[in-house]
Amino acid sequence: MNAAVRVDHVTKLYRRYGRKKSVGSLKSALLSGLGARALSPDDAVPALVDVSFTVAPGESLGVIGANGSGKSTLLKLLAGIFRPTSGQLAVDGRLAALLELGAGFHPEISGRENLEIGGLLLGLTRREIAERFDAIVAFAGVEEFLDAPVKTYSSGMAVRLGFALAAHSDPDVLLVDEVLAVGDEAFSHRCLEKFAEFERAGKSLVFVSHDLPLVAQRCRRAIWLDRGRVAFDGPSSETVARYRESVAAEEERQRLGDRSPRLRAEGPPVSVPGRVGSGAASVESVRLLDGAGKPAARIASGQPAALEMEVRAERPLSDFVFGFAIQTVSGVAVFGANTDLDGLVAEDFGGPASARLEMPACALAPGIYSVDAAIHARDGSPYDYRRDALRFEVTGDRPVAGVWNPPRTWRFGGGVRWKPAR
Amino acid sequence: MQPLARIFRQRALVLALARRELAARYRGSALGFFWSLANPLLLLAVYATVFRYVFAPRADVRPYALFLFGGVLVWGFVSAALADASETFRVNGPLLRKTTAAPEVFPAVAVAARLSHLVLALPVLAAAIAYEAFRGAAAPGPAVLQLPVVLLLLSVAVLGLALLLSSLAVHFGDVRDLTANILTLAFFLTPVLYPAEAVPERFRGLLRLNPFAPFFSALHDAVFFFRPVAGSDWAWMMGVAVLLLLAGSAVFERLRDSIAEEA
Repeated sequence: MNAAVRVDHVTKLYRRYGRKKSVGSLKSALLSGLGARALSPDDAVPALVDVSFTVAPGESLGVIGANGSGKSTLLKLLAGIFRPTSGQLAVDGRLAALLELGAGFHPEISGRENLEIGGLLLGLTRREIAERFDAIVAFAGVEEFLDAPVKTYSSGMAVRLGFALAAHSDPDVLLVDEVLAVGDEAFSHRCLEKFAEFERAGKSLVFVSHDLPLVAQRCRRAIWLDRGRVAFDGPSSETVARYRESVAAEEERQRLGDRSPRLRAEGPPVSVPGRVGSGAASVESVRLLDGAGKPAARIASGQPAALEMEVRAERPLSDFVFGFAIQTVSGVAVFGANTDLDGLVAEDFGGPASARLEMPACALAPGIYSVDAAIHARDGSPYDYRRDALRFEVTGDRPVAGVWNPPRTWRFGGGVRWKPAR
Repeated sequence: MQPLARIFRQRALVLALARRELAARYRGSALGFFWSLANPLLLLAVYATVFRYVFAPRADVRPYALFLFGGVLVWGFVSAALADASETFRVNGPLLRKTTAAPEVFPAVAVAARLSHLVLALPVLAAAIAYEAFRGAAAPGPAVLQLPVVLLLLSVAVLGLALLLSSLAVHFGDVRDLTANILTLAFFLTPVLYPAEAVPERFRGLLRLNPFAPFFSALHDAVFFFRPVAGSDWAWMMGVAVLLLLAGSAVFERLRDSIAEEA
């Protein structure tokens, strides 16, 4: 395959010099004998470990991962700013790197002068800059300010100018590092349009971002870097889903490591933040029950499950609704139901009671979920609304993208044949 | 010589960055670009006053203020260019890490910007020579035409040192301070304040070890004594320029890959 970007078993170690100081002194190097020894690393910090992937012409590749996972290092290697410690990188064609919008802009000189220098920094010739000048300025929308020093620009204007310049440098491969977050909504849309234009023109894009929905929407494929390694490489929605699950699981592990485990069968009586309501009735506890009716913290995907809340009314109520909502830890709403939506008509509720929602099959994808439990009036005004009252885990044999894990079967007709099941 | 080839390839960027350096320096000041003239003028005025009324001028080089002026201007270029080069990667670190500009561009910019300052100050030197000639205290001749060649060779030598110091400074935190100290020392060991002839015979050989010495002898020949530069000085200058450029390029090339990471 003819790849626009090829990364082949690339490892990058950051070297640290000197035992105490990160910068050695020439004096000490001369005294101890200048040579390879003075420049040899005392220890090495791996930033990327054995990373391989290719990007085809016209393909947009998203790169996601936690801070420090090696995303920016990867872009700097692709841009040729850093060299790999081992392995090979090849970029076919002209490359433009947008590692920071307006990098190289000098605050004291005018937008016009900065555009020239910025263009040269991107590898354009003077002639190319002159030809594209008007288009760049128009795209950025800074015509009136062109001769004012850049320090008088709003940050948005500087960003627009930087992006406009890079977008018009006509690269075959564009590297973008988390730069769209700074522009306003309208400008972000124009940037995205520009990216789409690139793709149609057969140009490749490598896009590092923490904006997971944007990556899922913008890129067909994404890789997830975890501590310098490619943890997953595949369709962007799946990469994003796996990354989110991992983040949620990590958060949960940390919480379990704390003294107050949240992943458990029963909710705490009071968790003050995230709890609103008049207090006319209260949710005393929330728990998850397995198919046998026993409290559980984990449930296998597809198995029967029930949510139960212990409740108490401080005074007799005739207007009341019980409800549960389930979301992923990253906040995606998965399910919500209440007695009103399910057609039950309230008559009387007083003293202690319990409400249980039974589900014959918990068709959630494996992952960690958060439960809200509420008692409120029909008009929605809460008596007691408890956000994140309970967390539970759904386990499963196989990962699935998204949040729904329905019972399913693949069937095939025609000339499709499969090896014996794994 | 690869660093040199890269500088040449990105010469438009070097020139633009050097121009920006000049523009940004004077932007926002009332005199603007005239500062590049005003600075040497003030310097000249100070020398003329001090050596007329405070110190006895050297008897062997008259008018001494004119003698000093040329040397101090050019020394100003050498020391400022090297000082800038020794911290250029610290100052330009962000640019280096965020753009695909070749690192050798930055020491080249330091030299080019300071050289532009010098060139902008040359009209003041020319005016001072003309004034002394009008008074009958100097007799300028075609020997002045040697100046561009001397400055070119000097710039090559300074570029070589700039490559060396800038790349070393990335790895060794004390290069910047060492550079400043050595430059102060070198100012007195180089025939800037005095003519090379003033050095006692038995130290002349030692003076040869100072790579800058032949440049300043030649400078004084061109713009003060108005006589041809000695053939041995030409040979020394060329030798020093080529050697420093080769050494600077070699060290820079060796350390190049780690500059963006360590800066």
